[in-house]
Amino acid sequence: MNTAPITSWEGAEAYFTFADKPALLVLFTLVGIGVCIWTIASMASHENKAYKDM
Amino acid sequence: MEQSVPELMARLDSLESSLSMATTINSEVFYWWCTALMLAIHAGFLAYEMGASRAKNALASGMKNLIAFAFLIPAFYYVGWWIYLAFPTGFSIADGSAAGLPWSANMGPNLTDNASGIFYAAFTLFAATTASIMSGSVIERIRISGFTILALFLGAVVWVFGASWGWHPDGWLTTEWGLHDVGAAGCVHTIAGFFTLGVLINLGPRIGRFNADGSVNNIDGHNMPMSLIGLMLIVMGFFGFLGGCIIYTGDMWTTIYNTPATLSAFAFNTLMGVAGGMIGAYLVTRDPFWMMSGALIGVISSAPALDLYYPGFAFLVSFAGGCIMPKLNDILVGKFKIDDAVGAVAVHGFGGVWGLIASGIFASGYPNIAGPEISFVGQLSSAVVFMILGFVPGYALSFVLKMVGLLRVTDKAELAGLDKAEVPVSAYPESSVPAAFTNDPTSPTPAE
Repeated sequence: MNTAPITSWEGAEAYFTFADKPALLVLFTLVGIGVCIWTIASMASHENKAYKDM
Repeated sequence: MEQSVPELMARLDSLESSLSMATTINSEVFYWWCTALMLAIHAGFLAYEMGASRAKNALASGMKNLIAFAFLIPAFYYVGWWIYLAFPTGFSIADGSAAGLPWSANMGPNLTDNASGIFYAAFTLFAATTASIMSGSVIERIRISGFTILALFLGAVVWVFGASWGWHPDGWLTTEWGLHDVGAAGCVHTIAGFFTLGVLINLGPRIGRFNADGSVNNIDGHNMPMSLIGLMLIVMGFFGFLGGCIIYTGDMWTTIYNTPATLSAFAFNTLMGVAGGMIGAYLVTRDPFWMMSGALIGVISSAPALDLYYPGFAFLVSFAGGCIMPKLNDILVGKFKIDDAVGAVAVHGFGGVWGLIASGIFASGYPNIAGPEISFVGQLSSAVVFMILGFVPGYALSFVLKMVGLLRVTDKAELAGLDKAEVPVSAYPESSVPAAFTNDPTSPTPAE
């Protein structure tokens, strides 16, 4: 999979993977935020179960 | 050997380019190490809070610090950095702030941008520090899920508005009121302390902290030596934090407000502030925990004018802070029944207010580059803004979390110990807490 936004280092500026695909960058942002929210939700769920089991 | 003018010009261009890159790299390297040193703050909070907890809650307390640190890193990347760039004038979005959006070309490896990454890094550690300030006060009864939500809100949103307004060259608190707060006493410490106060009001005290007649029971942590080492690590980390508060321009140092400064000035006043706070807190408490908290109070007390104070005077301002804040903590606990497990509201919240008031009295008249000169009214008014900016969101969000049952653990979990509910491993699996340390009057001391 070619994720490079550059084909040469000459004149390169933003050179990170997917830098030339802003829609993907937005998608990764949303997924990353989603991962964090999911983890917090699972924290709460784990706590609820733990309190019930005590 | 003779050289032609074009050859000499080419060499000169090359030298200028090299010098420019050396300056750029020096700046990157400086903030890299400041960021690394700030990790000591988190190692410190970890040790300090675990030590201040009873053994049955030790790991749950530690987890809160690890979680705040881990979650604040992406949160500041996704949201916080943009807020800082976007809102220096209040609530309208500034030009150029799009560079802070997570999909911007500046928010990743970019050969034309050696600054965004290291400044994001330093600010992220500031954010994680701000969230950690709250974590000690709420130990032994807060749900980790609720704490995480509060930490994210404080560290990625609330304090960032304060920083945009008051720790930014174009921040309105400086351009309108002349605020001067180079060491972030207001936007980090005051905001975090008052946010914490709002949370503590809704969270309530630990079971057994207050008796029906209003008297207070001490709830001792299980490892004071660990807490003392932790506090010393936080002091060490402060050198990274305050190093991150000075701006390297290449040919000189400036404060965030573009006024001239030197790292030497910061060195003088940071150390004298640490010492003044430690000595003041020792004088009024004789307690090693408060003595080390006094070190923090001392730095915070002198932080707004680290670039300006005569060091001998910074020592006295910090000494006064070290004397006052432990007494304020006693009032918060004894009179207002606020169970602040580690005194963070006094140390950070009121410590920051004292720092701003002191600089308003003793550093007034210094010129700002973009805004009126430093004044008592400007510093005090800014302190009030920070207090409100911290308290209102802290109280409001914790109230909502309380209503939906996400703020506090159950009584059963609290009495059994949070580690049992929150953490799948045991802090001290092969030993019970020695009887000599349970305050059981019938058990012999080791010497007997």
